[in-house]
Amino acid sequence: MDSILEVFNIGLFQNTLRTATPVILAAMGGLMTEQAGIMNIGMDGMILAGAFVAVAFSFAMSSAATGVIAAVLCGILIGLFFALFVVKFRSDEFIIGMALNTFAGGLTVYLLRSIFGVKGTFSSEGIVALPVVHIDFLDSIPLIGPLLNDNSIFVYVTWLLVFASWVFLYRTPCGFWMRAAGEHPRSLETAGISPEKMKFLASILCGILCGFAGAHLSLGYLTMFTEGMSNSRGFIAFACVIFGMANPPKVFLAALLFGFLDALGLRLQSVGIPSDLTSTLPYIATVLMLVYVVVATKNKTKKAARKQLEISEGLFNK
Amino acid sequence: MNKISESLKKNRTYLISLILSIMAALIIGGILMAVTGFDPFEGYGAMLNGVFGSARVFGNTLAKMLTLCLTGLAMTVGAKAGLFNVGGEGQLFLGGLAATMTGVALHGVSPAFALPLAFLAAAVTGGIYAWIPAVLKVKLNVSEVITTIMLNSVAIYVCTYLVNSSGPLATDDHGILGGTDAIPEAFRFAQIIPRSNLSTAIIYSAVIAFICWYLMQKTSIGLEMKVTGENERFSFFAGLPKEKIMIWSMVASGAICGLVGMFEVYGYQFRFQDSISNEFYYDGMLVAMIMNYNPIGIIIMSFFFAVIDIGAGAMEFSTGVSGEISDIIFAIIIFLMAAESGITKAVTDRLSQRRARQKLRKGDL
Repeated sequence: MDSILEVFNIGLFQNTLRTATPVILAAMGGLMTEQAGIMNIGMDGMILAGAFVAVAFSFAMSSAATGVIAAVLCGILIGLFFALFVVKFRSDEFIIGMALNTFAGGLTVYLLRSIFGVKGTFSSEGIVALPVVHIDFLDSIPLIGPLLNDNSIFVYVTWLLVFASWVFLYRTPCGFWMRAAGEHPRSLETAGISPEKMKFLASILCGILCGFAGAHLSLGYLTMFTEGMSNSRGFIAFACVIFGMANPPKVFLAALLFGFLDALGLRLQSVGIPSDLTSTLPYIATVLMLVYVVVATKNKTKKAARKQLEISEGLFNK
Repeated sequence: MNKISESLKKNRTYLISLILSIMAALIIGGILMAVTGFDPFEGYGAMLNGVFGSARVFGNTLAKMLTLCLTGLAMTVGAKAGLFNVGGEGQLFLGGLAATMTGVALHGVSPAFALPLAFLAAAVTGGIYAWIPAVLKVKLNVSEVITTIMLNSVAIYVCTYLVNSSGPLATDDHGILGGTDAIPEAFRFAQIIPRSNLSTAIIYSAVIAFICWYLMQKTSIGLEMKVTGENERFSFFAGLPKEKIMIWSMVASGAICGLVGMFEVYGYQFRFQDSISNEFYYDGMLVAMIMNYNPIGIIIMSFFFAVIDIGAGAMEFSTGVSGEISDIIFAIIIFLMAAESGITKAVTDRLSQRRARQKLRKGDL
């Protein structure tokens, strides 16, 4: 019993923030494309490419900032590429997304081998990690002080981004157009705005955010690049987008829940549960989450329909 | 008659695009090799040599092609009824493990009795694992794409746990790192080309393919599947048991994947390891999708991809070019083929525009 209680300590919640951050970043990108009406299954490859480019440039230029900028530029390129095929050539989103994952997986390993001469993992003293933020006054807050302090800079950026995404989507004309591009492209076109352009924009934004996610993964969360290190995070981010119905705060919560389960898995290892089994937690949880959200919406619509029926019956009986 | 020539014409443009895509992908792969300091001609030479150099390596290529064909078939069976089974990798792992453990447990029993049981174990395990997302999709409308991807990771982690170091199914033989006990020699499939991976699994695969073809083309079940996949509303009004058809086609897809896992072990690996499959299913799935679920197309494309894949391994060995170049070439072909109609349209539009402009100019004169 003691060991079970031991699992829930401050480290668990610190890890939650750390593991959730790349997923939140990618999910914020994924909800842009989702809102614009593109099913983006290629986020995993986008994250992987970002992670690789970030490590490569951080190593070459010995600067973490250069790594992040390079990852973002790479994200823009991939986003453009994705949109070119999906929007311009009207290819199947699913095929392009899966091919993008294969492509990123192959290219990163190929380049890892050709440039750095290693197979599997590249770690070196030369890779400059992202700075850790320490604010003295946060230490004085009891309980959550240590939780909020000493995180990689991206953890804080992420919180701002969630808010920014919400403002962008629901409080700016451009965000409105983007949502319209997904919901009703015809009317957007009638209003004189090209839905294709909005889809391109969404795809590029998604690329940028996935680039951030990758940079955080390889320069913030860890300081190295490992073959296939995105580890299905792109898919989990996609599931979070569906779960949160592409609404930034809801998606944020879904990703936090994922991060919590991931961190819980890490903690459970210390109690002696095999790591391979604890690693399944987030994936199982994702499936259960999806089932829950579907059942919940179904019940909601049923309830609403019943209410409607009661009202109309009431009118009829009068 | 007109219809036939029309379809021929359509197929011809498709074939031309396919050949152009493959050539473009190979050229891009060559440029990548040149940029990273390798001689592309030497690389591709090593690739061809690694595939056609000896009977053994050619056998390996055919074995790889078989895996791609079967996984592609599994994808097709699901897709015909309108379900995307992306979870074949997990079904393959679990089916392979179930068949291996059956074989290990039945040590000393006559193969005539043990092999059918192993087949059954693989198919049932794979089928059940596909049944879960199928039911979630049909009854609750939960996207099967995400659930199957998630279940892949779950299955792979669970299998890794079971067969490695201190896992309950790991071998006691300390000379071997990871994996289960080997299956008894009596159960192993006979090799068709000595020392290669090509085994009598090819015969079983042909039987599976024939059964699928027969069911889909010659029976009412196949027609009902196609109708459900192509037009759900119509199948509803026709009174077809839509839910049952969708679930069963997904289960069949999973069962085939489970059998692929079994063939990997019984054909040449002989023990179950967590490295049983390196995303084989995703490759087969993409082959099936870009070939529009056309059986002949899947066979041809599987062969081509097997050549690239096995050849890349040989190329890595002899020239040092990373074998991952196969994934890159593979992905480029898929990009181009998926965009085929879009690119063709863009090109023809541009051409007709130019022609119109020229006509206008002539008119001006």
